[in-house]
Amino acid sequence: MKISVMTDILEADDRIATVNQGIFDKHGNLVINLMSSPGAGKTTLLERTAEALKDKLRLGVITGDIETTIDSERLERFQLPVIQLTTGSPCHLDANMIASALPHLDLSQIDILIIENVGNLVCPAEFKVGEDYKIVMLSVPEGHEKPLKYPLMFRESALLLINKIDLLQYTNFNLEEARRNATKVNPDLEIIEMSCTAGQGIEPWVSWLVERYQRKIGKQRSA
Amino acid sequence: MHEMAIAQGILDIAVAAAQKGGSQKIARINVVAGELRGLVPLQLTYCFSVLAEHTIASHALLNLEITPIRGRCKQCDETFIVKDHQYVCPQCQSRDIQTVSGTELRVRDIEVV
Repeated sequence: MKISVMTDILEADDRIATVNQGIFDKHGNLVINLMSSPGAGKTTLLERTAEALKDKLRLGVITGDIETTIDSERLERFQLPVIQLTTGSPCHLDANMIASALPHLDLSQIDILIIENVGNLVCPAEFKVGEDYKIVMLSVPEGHEKPLKYPLMFRESALLLINKIDLLQYTNFNLEEARRNATKVNPDLEIIEMSCTAGQGIEPWVSWLVERYQRKIGKQRSA
Repeated sequence: MHEMAIAQGILDIAVAAAQKGGSQKIARINVVAGELRGLVPLQLTYCFSVLAEHTIASHALLNLEITPIRGRCKQCDETFIVKDHQYVCPQCQSRDIQTVSGTELRVRDIEVV
């Protein structure tokens, strides 16, 4: 006997993500789901972002790691609200893990919440956590073909940060090719080139964030 | 290994549907997954077989149907299958393409005995 089901497999996750999003909206938080390979520079980006937003907007961070709390220790000196989620083995953060972190964060004291996902170009793209935007970071040593190899991640993201452009001269990474590959997969993708260690491209990135924050708050006020 | 989370989702949905229908054994589960999901069928069936042990789905065959990515041109309304992630309209060459399907991920039906 056949039983028709037609149920979305990640439906439970999506439902929790919607609840998370409602909580974030209520507190006026802009929420970014930051994804990349391991070692692309997510934590350094957070450090630069914390410096740049200081005295402007209040940043909060949820950082996901399979093991260790090294990332949250690096962010300690900025005295930000940081929650470290150690996933144990899962290769991505899901909505439920984020929901479990929320009671430990005072969202009313946060304007922009960045969720630093587990380093992985595949799985994080599958799961909504309640974010306003997904962002993908690709670093020069990884190669310009990555958008074609991991299309879902680039398809789902609103912004691509190409990091470590100070290393361009040492690699055969082709920036034009990278841009072409990325917009082939997602024509609406915005792209910022940067080097977090050299401090390049931080300004357009922070402006992007601030602009999105103001847009969200403005929309909520007029609603 | 998002396959594990997805396998768990499939199992939960299938078992719930079978029990609702008053059945105690699932023979087959038909899953529809869009190509954009990048699922590895072997990995998924392996994860599923481990999770399904000692459940009413322990002998169920997990059938995965991969559906292609379908795009719709926002300029000329042409719909077409996106191959090799080339989001370009074959009719008018526009790159203003909306993804119509390719990200779906659902249990379509189950067969019970």
